Amino acid sequence: MPLLTSFDLQCRNAPDRPALIEGERRLSYREVMLNSERLAAHLASRIEPGARIALALDRGIDAVIAILSVLRCGACYIPLDIKNPARRLRFIVDDAVVHCIIGRGNPPEWLDTPALWLDIDRLPESAQSYYPPAATDPEALAAILYTSGSTGTPKGVALSHRALHNFADWAARTFKLNADDRIASLAPFHFDLSVFDLFSSLSAGASINFVPAGLTLSPSRLTAWLREQRITVFYTVPSLLGFIVLKGGLTEQPLPDLTTLLFAGEVFPTPQLKKLCELLPDTDFYNLYGPTETNVCCYWPVDRARLDVDQAIPIGHPACASELKIDAETSELWVKSVNNLSGYWRQGRLTEALEDGGYYRTGDKVSLNERGEYCYHGRLDRMLKCSGYRVEPAEIEALILQCPEVANCAVVGIDDSASGQRPAAALVLHPGGQLNGIVKTVKQALPAYMQPCRFSVMDALPLLDNGKTDYQTLQRQLERH
Amino acid sequence: MKKKLRDFIFQELVFVAEPNQFGDDDDLLEAGLDSMGIMRLIMYIENEFGVTLPDTEIEPDNVQSFNALECWILRHKNS
Repeated sequence: MPLLTSFDLQCRNAPDRPALIEGERRLSYREVMLNSERLAAHLASRIEPGARIALALDRGIDAVIAILSVLRCGACYIPLDIKNPARRLRFIVDDAVVHCIIGRGNPPEWLDTPALWLDIDRLPESAQSYYPPAATDPEALAAILYTSGSTGTPKGVALSHRALHNFADWAARTFKLNADDRIASLAPFHFDLSVFDLFSSLSAGASINFVPAGLTLSPSRLTAWLREQRITVFYTVPSLLGFIVLKGGLTEQPLPDLTTLLFAGEVFPTPQLKKLCELLPDTDFYNLYGPTETNVCCYWPVDRARLDVDQAIPIGHPACASELKIDAETSELWVKSVNNLSGYWRQGRLTEALEDGGYYRTGDKVSLNERGEYCYHGRLDRMLKCSGYRVEPAEIEALILQCPEVANCAVVGIDDSASGQRPAAALVLHPGGQLNGIVKTVKQALPAYMQPCRFSVMDALPLLDNGKTDYQTLQRQLERH
Repeated sequence: MKKKLRDFIFQELVFVAEPNQFGDDDDLLEAGLDSMGIMRLIMYIENEFGVTLPDTEIEPDNVQSFNALECWILRHKNS
């Protein structure tokens, strides 16, 4: 089913209900529909169905209007993190071969082709203000989400209408969303958690309340906002919830309206989760698991009676009618799901990402416990999880190795009590090589969560007997550093 | 106090190529101090300097620079 079918239904059935709330600005379902139709009418004059349209807008009402209008035209949206360095933004826009970029104000300096830019505040007068939704094939791409790639550049996870709809619909049913729900939107739109915030909410007729920027730096202000807005459903990453446990002021002021708290993206340390359960005695918690490629394929309704501080919580049972299997030799989790990606988007075209039979190999090691629940045991490869984001060390290494001063380099994750892991780099420099230029290059090329927290210059990298880099030893060395 | 803060932040939270060039009023948030960094920093400060920083005062203004941090901590140390 095309992604907007349920949203369209809500617009017809309850047009006056609040849909989007950002500070003082509130839009009803009717207003959202009218605004997105107007933009869609304009877009349709510029692009064909199947086009790819990037969004250079902050999380908020205008970005949602833009996404809905892109989908209404039968095009696919590519959310950009506008805080990313210019080089990365340019790469994504080139790799995706976008037909248009919706932003605000003048075209940014990093954009080589300013003609692609569409200023959302200055839409040309259009004779048409209504655009009939394009007849969208459920297999058509709805979104491409760029994540860290092991080949040295970001990679685009291409997701169809059918895939996003399958997840959004499952989540709306499973978490019993309804028109009275007020759902907080905090995840940036390039992060897969946002699929729930946007599409599950709108398909249920609920309101999306945008968390003001900067509140993640101030947990007690964040919890005060959740309380004032009477948020009922919140989906976020454990590292932020850990900060809330510590400094969110929940002991003095609980969150009586919050019925459902969903978390994903990394392992929630059980002691912190237990504490949060005590602070929010009436809230239902769910651990959601799944890489961007499958969205949520496994979930565990947190059973408070089973929280043992010495034991990690399970990732639970299959979600979204996913078929899961464990590779007998490696314990790798394979996932077959309607949610699965259509492929990776590379240099303007879709490339194969699934195994025969439609399975996606997650690279995650899992097992089944005595209750038949899946349990997560880390990665089979070197991928890191940093504050819920995934980071491929090879992407950072490839960038550092491009610096002429660098003879060799390896990036490993060092454990961080707050954010799971942080990348750290070990470098071997050519004679006379200086660290300054390299650090500058890295800071200009990578988003903050991918930047190594340490750069350690060594005479040589530790090696295994077979001559390959000994990452385990290196990790210990960098952790001691 | 500032030296301890500098050592902790530059060794554990934010990497800058030349810490000596980083001024006491320079912007730590711009340099890469994020919400998880702030959380670890606060745990460190409370442990190291024996103060309790009120939840409601954890906000960007108080962690923006070394001078801001020192002011904030001293306000609670002396009270």
